[in-house]
Amino acid sequence: MASMSRTDNAGGPAHGLTTRWASALSDTPAFWKIVSLAILFGAWEFAGRIDFNYAFPGFLETMAALFEMLTDGSMAKAYLRTFEPLAIGLVISLTVGISAGVGMGLRRDVEWLSLPIFITMQAAPMAALIPLVTFVYGIGLASKVLAVVMLSLPVIAINSYKAVRNVPPSLVDMSRSFMGSRRQQILGIILPAASPMMFAGIRLGVAEGFSGAVLAELLITPTGIGDLITFNRSVAKFAHMYAAIFSIVALAVIAVSLLHRLEMTLFRPEKRGV
Amino acid sequence: MTMERRSFMRAAAGALTTTVALSGAPALAQDEPLQVALGDIASVESLNLLIAMERAGERGVPMEMTFFNSEDVAVQAVLSGEVDIGVGAPYAFIQNSDAPIRMFYRMSTLMFFPVVNSDVYSGWEDLDGEEVTVHSRGSGTEALMRLMEQKHGIEYSQISYVPGSEVRAGAMLQGTVNATIVDAANFRLLQQEGGDKFQRLPLEGVNATDEALYATTDVMEARAEDMQIFVEELLGTWADIAENPEIVGELRAEYGLLQDLPDNVASEAVPYYAEAVENGVYPTDGGEPSDVADDIAFLAAAGQVSGDPEEIDPERFWNFDLLEAAKAAN
Repeated sequence: MASMSRTDNAGGPAHGLTTRWASALSDTPAFWKIVSLAILFGAWEFAGRIDFNYAFPGFLETMAALFEMLTDGSMAKAYLRTFEPLAIGLVISLTVGISAGVGMGLRRDVEWLSLPIFITMQAAPMAALIPLVTFVYGIGLASKVLAVVMLSLPVIAINSYKAVRNVPPSLVDMSRSFMGSRRQQILGIILPAASPMMFAGIRLGVAEGFSGAVLAELLITPTGIGDLITFNRSVAKFAHMYAAIFSIVALAVIAVSLLHRLEMTLFRPEKRGV
Repeated sequence: MTMERRSFMRAAAGALTTTVALSGAPALAQDEPLQVALGDIASVESLNLLIAMERAGERGVPMEMTFFNSEDVAVQAVLSGEVDIGVGAPYAFIQNSDAPIRMFYRMSTLMFFPVVNSDVYSGWEDLDGEEVTVHSRGSGTEALMRLMEQKHGIEYSQISYVPGSEVRAGAMLQGTVNATIVDAANFRLLQQEGGDKFQRLPLEGVNATDEALYATTDVMEARAEDMQIFVEELLGTWADIAENPEIVGELRAEYGLLQDLPDNVASEAVPYYAEAVENGVYPTDGGEPSDVADDIAFLAAAGQVSGDPEEIDPERFWNFDLLEAAKAAN
């Protein structure tokens, strides 16, 4: 962006003011984010107003429905239900996924034993498998937790494995030449070096976990946010249905962004403030 | 421009002209089959509709059935013109979206069986302050249970949602659920497996449907003749089945309908229709304006639609012209 402004400056003094403005704005990422959102929501509102589909409400109508659901408490009640399997599933995925990933990265035998399972889990179309889970685990909390785990675990495990495996060998060699023990090598060199990529995997895994929670609520039994979506669809309250979908997307984006910030604060001091 | 390119351009131009000519020929539309969208898979319960479709085909109105994942998707397909006729009761959709679709034939009235474990409960009054299990929020089963709650002056402590009659019947057999509502097939299953243990609670004064045929007003106008023939055949088939339910089995064999059904399921067809006819599930009049008020009252109990059933204009949801014309012709 900066280089573009410089080129424009060469165009003459008439462009000076606008380019200075553009340059100032380009240094304000928040501005561009707002513009991007405004274009998206504007297009949404436009599409809603031209009535291309009877079941497609505009942005403002959807936001009014969202406000109504937030104030009457129905959304808070729904999220309390949805967060239960999501939180339990994510805790299991993070614990098992990171341990398995690190294990696979450090030891070949663990890799041979576990990696095919995670690759199969990642490749399989989970939406088709989730209904099968109910045959074994019924329609209660266990099935929904499993749906979250099935979607988020493989991403977390495979990314952790790749992160550990791709630690620069020179760092490990350095540790060895300083007579570092295996324990020091793992805790002091491998894990810190692998953590940025592991965190990227965790971010993806959390996003997948949200998908798993919603899929479970749409495919197993309608509870929580899945119930808000199916119920409002069945009674043709489309603004409320879109508001429920909007809320879960927004929440997933916020969760992933917060994780990104945490990652920056913890592991990437050199990137802070960028 | 090389020879190959020129001939390609000519071919493309030719194809374009043909497409334009075809799309501008409304006469052809009359020969296209009338597509019926079912928001479910076909079962023995769809046999009467399939028979009427075959009979319409014999009178020069070819018809095809398409299956969708849910009724919501079927409504969208009807609205977008991908199919002509839908099966369902899109009252809420019409009320909330003002879409130009209207129902034109009432296929059935709801047949569900509220069942309780007789060791625990013996009547509606016992369900006061107790938990009941239904299909899903806003479903017909919930509406029925809510309506009974009002009629009997009771209040459930909680309504749980377990989709699938077979799942709820299974839960009754396991003893994890003591009061629920199931369909005819699963009520029979409960009777076979549990005998007197499962007691059916009376459902009186409920006249509502979740199975009507609907189409856009455009299709009803553009294909009025074809649609009328179809409605005539619906009325005829329903009347024939009401007179003798056994013809369902004969006509299934004659037209080769649902041949993939396993024998044990197919053999359920005639008993099912016999029982349904006995219970008045399949009305032979195709629906009356007064039924619309009953439907609205029923759906309002489940929170699907709003408004006073007595004040609602039936024309907003229904078009009775086809039905009246078909009755006159029959």
